[in-house]
Amino acid sequence: MTALELDKICKSFGSVEVLKDISLTVEDGEFVVFVGPSGCGKSTLLRIIAGLEDPTSGTVAIGGDMVNTVPPAKRGIAMVFQSYALYPHLSVKDNMTLGLKQEGQPKAVIEERVTKAVRMLGLGAYIARRPSDLSGGQRQRVAIGRAIVREPKLFLFDEPLSNLDAALRMNMRVEIADLHRKLGASIIYVTHDQTEAMTLADKIVVLRDGHVEQVGSPMELYNNPANQFVAGFLGSPSMNFLEKSVAGQTAGTILGIRPEHLRLTENGRIRGTITHVERLGGDTNLLVITDADEKLTVRLFGQYDKSVGEATALDFDDSHAFHFDQDRQRIYQSAA
Amino acid sequence: MSKARQSTGATIAAHAVLIVYTIIALFPVFVIVINSFKTRQAIFREPLTLPDSDSFSLIGYQTVLKQGDFFLYFQNSMIVTVGSLFFILLFGAMAAFALAEYRFRGNMLMGLYLALGIMIPIRIGTVAILEMMVQTGLVNTLWALILVYTAQGLPLAVFILSAFMKQVSDDLKNAGRIDGLSEYKIFFRLVLPLVRPAMATVAVFNMIPIWNDLWFPLILAPSEQTKTLTLGSQVFIGQFVTDWNAVLSALSLAILPVMALYVVFSRQLIRGITSGAVK
Amino acid sequence: MPSPIRKPQIRWHIAVFLAPAVLVYTAVMIYPLFNTLRLSLYTEVGQERIFVGLENFRTLFGDANWSRQFWNALGNNFWFFAIHMLVQNPIGVALAAILSSPRLRFSNFYRSAIFIPTILSFVIVGFAWKLILSPIWGIAPSMLDAIGLKSLYAPWLGREAYALTTLSLVSVWQFVGIPMMLIYAALLSIPDEILEAGECDGITGMAAFWKIKLPLVLPSIGIISILTFVANFNAFDLIYAAQGALAGPDFSTDILGTFMYRTFFGFQLQLGDPHMGSAIASAMFGIILIGVCLYLFGIQRRLRNYQF
Repeated sequence: MTALELDKICKSFGSVEVLKDISLTVEDGEFVVFVGPSGCGKSTLLRIIAGLEDPTSGTVAIGGDMVNTVPPAKRGIAMVFQSYALYPHLSVKDNMTLGLKQEGQPKAVIEERVTKAVRMLGLGAYIARRPSDLSGGQRQRVAIGRAIVREPKLFLFDEPLSNLDAALRMNMRVEIADLHRKLGASIIYVTHDQTEAMTLADKIVVLRDGHVEQVGSPMELYNNPANQFVAGFLGSPSMNFLEKSVAGQTAGTILGIRPEHLRLTENGRIRGTITHVERLGGDTNLLVITDADEKLTVRLFGQYDKSVGEATALDFDDSHAFHFDQDRQRIYQSAA
Repeated sequence: MSKARQSTGATIAAHAVLIVYTIIALFPVFVIVINSFKTRQAIFREPLTLPDSDSFSLIGYQTVLKQGDFFLYFQNSMIVTVGSLFFILLFGAMAAFALAEYRFRGNMLMGLYLALGIMIPIRIGTVAILEMMVQTGLVNTLWALILVYTAQGLPLAVFILSAFMKQVSDDLKNAGRIDGLSEYKIFFRLVLPLVRPAMATVAVFNMIPIWNDLWFPLILAPSEQTKTLTLGSQVFIGQFVTDWNAVLSALSLAILPVMALYVVFSRQLIRGITSGAVK
Repeated sequence: MPSPIRKPQIRWHIAVFLAPAVLVYTAVMIYPLFNTLRLSLYTEVGQERIFVGLENFRTLFGDANWSRQFWNALGNNFWFFAIHMLVQNPIGVALAAILSSPRLRFSNFYRSAIFIPTILSFVIVGFAWKLILSPIWGIAPSMLDAIGLKSLYAPWLGREAYALTTLSLVSVWQFVGIPMMLIYAALLSIPDEILEAGECDGITGMAAFWKIKLPLVLPSIGIISILTFVANFNAFDLIYAAQGALAGPDFSTDILGTFMYRTFFGFQLQLGDPHMGSAIASAMFGIILIGVCLYLFGIQRRLRNYQF
């Protein structure tokens, strides 16, 4: 069964087209991440799925039922907001139970679900506190707990980690992945952070300017990007794009090489000068300006004794290189 | 149109309630103004219809302008309101700046002392105020009113303005000090222009109660020369109770300036209230 | 060589900035306030002012004639306040809630129009309603007739039983704009995401109002209540404009403000008595002080202010 099916969703605000003809399916139990730069329409798409916005055209089906005219609460979804959006006047427990009480669930059911969610999220000590007395990470958990108790068919997460500091974000990322395994639920997760997308998703949907650029598993997108945007968006440091630095390069095409696929060799096809060295301990990143005046990054494993101003030569394996045309689309090389 | 979130029924109901209440709010004003332009018979025969060529009459306005010195009253109200606002803003902003900008012993206490007047109405002190105005010879002068309204307006003005002045960047003021500006220049040249929106809010808040006050004009300045428009229309209407044309015209004349001010300042007023300046 | 320990300079500019405001405020507001409290302890015999202690208050509460008037005014004042709390504030909250619903068209127009009575003076409002309700003009009876309720009409302002309630409602009509605006502002400051979270939880419409919005604007309702209290116990203008200093019929609309005015200035044959006036003013001061303290220490502490 499909958890979600979007068919030709378009959305405009006035004359501005935010989403253009988006069709997607989410399978049961799948963790799908919408990723893209800010303003790409990913949050709007999520709000359309939630029912907080109406699409200008197209249909939304959740669990097989068309829900275009169904109010958010009846769609079988639960949403975790970027700002958590906890009810400030209610305790942690009441935050979780308000929606269930409104649905008219029997007391025993409410108690049982809350107990389960509280145990799962380790919120036991905070149950009577109000949101203002909680830390950011705890508020985040309450927001997730409020979604869990509703036992939705589909969870929607709107940039849930963007208000947390870096260390906490990493912990919460692991917790969310863990939660997904335990609940086996279908999840749609919106983020602009490619690391979150890569680490969490079963399936990534890359959006740009209201278009779907590519859909696939993280490794599919990483190893086989359909265009220069996807190639550059995923991976850190991001892919190098060279137009003229490589000896024998076809004019008018763009060559893409990931920083980790470049190696230092005496007679490499790329020649340049080191402009900066980042020593990260485990890795060393070299920033190089080529003789053809293009910038690139090299990621080397281990520690290297390189210094700024040093001339250097680089090479790569042709099987790791990607080719793009002037329209930024991938040129698939016939096996040579 | 939103489909999943809003029902048309609720929207129609909302408009219905608001329209009904708007009519309730405007109806009395409407009735007074239209009837002020009618003949005496028409006022009683068809109070709810607009004046037409038969029923149109300016007799009420003629009586009012002949009998009462409304131009003088208007001028008095204007002087009192503008004068009070000037002193409230100037003195209020100065004190607010001192409280917001400098740390000194008693700062807190001074702030509380000035805030006292927000909750306690100045009218409680009327007996002693009148006695003082009589002793200083200020009774039956516009200065008496200006002083009282200035004192009345200062507490809230200091409270609102100091909250705004705390938001003015310290770097800006320190840059001014490094450039050699005196504290007075920093206040007048740098800070005042930046809190102009807050000053406008304070002005609009104070304007209406001052213009509309009846108590102090009645007690401190009831002489013919110093009557404000509010007191003047009250006295006039009291004398002409049975002359309906005159009474309705006098009311309309009293409504007019306030409505004009409201049309000019309503955006400022509503923005001031809704921006949370009084929270 | 500069001395190592410099005495801190006196910062005269602080005094210059503070002086005008503090002087005017102290001289015209605080000093007269306490002077009024002091004057309530004196009386005038012949041309001389003599100290009599609490004698004026004994008269005010003890003398049958005075105390009857005082309790009448105080009781009326409480009724005046009760009507504001029970009618003005709920209507104001309801209007604000409707106005704040998203994507409502013309809401600026409604807001400005409903606020218009608030900017009119009591004199205008008092006379306008006096004329509209008057049996001579007949607008009120003919309008009631139009909806088939003519039998309900009575010359309300002229009847002892109705006059105070009628005037309270006129005052409510005038001031509904203030709670409406303040609550409207408070409702707007609730973040959209919280209301959307409510929508996802199925809390919409009336449920959203009772369970989310109302609890979040309670602090504003508290402030409005205390503002209403102070304004009501200090009211004078509307009653004076509509019913005169005698607050007729038969003192049925007399409140503390009119009572104080009459006592202080005198009316008809009774001479004005500034000392008894001061005593009444002191009583008003006490009542307002008690009200404000009850609010600050009893109610405000229990209202949480939410940081969004």
